[in-house]
Amino acid sequence: MRLTGHLCQICQKEERIIKLRLQWYQLVLLLQNTRALVCAASSLQSQVLTKQMPLGVLLTNRHYRSMPTHGIGRYRHLLPKALPKKKKEKVQAKQIKAATATEFGVFNVCVSGYDMTLVEHYSQYIHNLCNHLDIRVDESCALPTKTTEVMVMQEQGTKMYVDAVLKTHERIVQISEMKATLFPIFMEVILKNQPEGVRLCLKQHTEADYQARFKTRPELEGLLAKINN
Amino acid sequence: MAAPFTRVYRPLWRIITTTTLNKGVRNVSSTRQQCSALNVKTAAVASPWALHGAVCLQRLPVVSQDRSPIEEEFMELMHQMELERSLLSDHELRLLEDAARMSRKQEEDYDSDEEEEDYRDKEIVTAQDLEDIWEQKLKQFHPAPRSQGVDEKGVSSSERCLAESLILLVKKDVGSQKLWLLPQTQWQTGETLRKTAERALAGLPGADLKATFLGNAPCGFYKYKYPKDIQKEGRIGAKVFFFKAVLSSHKHLPLEKNSFAWVKKDELQDFLKPEYLKQVRRFIMAL
Repeated sequence: MRLTGHLCQICQKEERIIKLRLQWYQLVLLLQNTRALVCAASSLQSQVLTKQMPLGVLLTNRHYRSMPTHGIGRYRHLLPKALPKKKKEKVQAKQIKAATATEFGVFNVCVSGYDMTLVEHYSQYIHNLCNHLDIRVDESCALPTKTTEVMVMQEQGTKMYVDAVLKTHERIVQISEMKATLFPIFMEVILKNQPEGVRLCLKQHTEADYQARFKTRPELEGLLAKINN
Repeated sequence: MAAPFTRVYRPLWRIITTTTLNKGVRNVSSTRQQCSALNVKTAAVASPWALHGAVCLQRLPVVSQDRSPIEEEFMELMHQMELERSLLSDHELRLLEDAARMSRKQEEDYDSDEEEEDYRDKEIVTAQDLEDIWEQKLKQFHPAPRSQGVDEKGVSSSERCLAESLILLVKKDVGSQKLWLLPQTQWQTGETLRKTAERALAGLPGADLKATFLGNAPCGFYKYKYPKDIQKEGRIGAKVFFFKAVLSSHKHLPLEKNSFAWVKKDELQDFLKPEYLKQVRRFIMAL
């Protein structure tokens, strides 16, 4: 009995909703008709009538099941599509291009010195020069700073004491596929603009250079040695 | 091109290093890695032009150029700004701490037990002492002079104008007259033009100049016709190809005044003929 009572209630509710809907549609139709008439006949001074409300406001397409407020607060469909998070890929060693008769392969311009501002500015200058001359720069990175302690022997005695601490900074600009005809001009420009106190070195890029940048993993190496033994 | 040329498949590789300045010349050394065999291709017809290889040997600037007045002012301003914005370094903090400790010691109600563990009853080298030691050392340091005291007008020394790059010129007999030229020599069959340029440099009498060539490609070109009376059948004139090189190191033997000259780019017009100068100027950079 309770169930039917419940059903009755639901039926009643639905009846009411359907009635409401019908009334609503009638109202809308009426409004549309009146609006058409009024627009045709009246003047444009009346602001309320010429407001031109979009019909969508009156006839919304909401997904509602039983409650009119169903789906209120739905916002996820409005956000941009978030891609699934990629796991970090293992850094692959890039294929080192070989030199051809007219182009160089991959080479490193190493700038090193004690004064970090000079070294960095000079390496940035070289990079900008390459960009300007349309030379391809693969990488522009820094090698770890090497600290040198200058120890001085005391005049009377055998003990050495620390006199100074010098830090050597190094920056690398990696260039690939440079034309051989452009190379002398490039070399001349960077040699003429080399600042005092900065050492310049051009080396061919090898696999060993690439591997030297990575940190050693002692536990991994220990385990590998154990496996091999 | 009718003239024979050699196709060289030689890897263009070298390790070029420059070390810090060493008495007026920047050391530019290069180690060549490999040289594969030359592959010579000769054409059947000899061209009417004689080929020459020449070298544009440059002594790079050794010291940086002097700053203009505006640059000086700006540099001072930037220094001052940096100083005012910077934080105190460890050494300066130590100085302040020592000064504070000194003033505390002078007070009547000084209790040495209140000092920190490290500073109680120990002989310490204060920061001020360290500063004095460093100042003494600085006074003993003498930087190298920015100009080697060589007569700036005399063009035979390679140590003039250390802030600019200089080019080597030689006086040579060409036909009937003596002309100032970049060192050049005739090309021989079977060698690359760059080898010719190297030979031109090595063949200079009385000069032991070591240079690093900057590439296999020539940087400039000059063509001239022989005067009518010298033109034999098949030899209209000569073509000269210039190669760039950088002076690496040389023994400081003074070069003969009348046959060698180290000149800046703007002094070239006093030495070279106008036509030649026009072509040479195109590839010399005055940086």
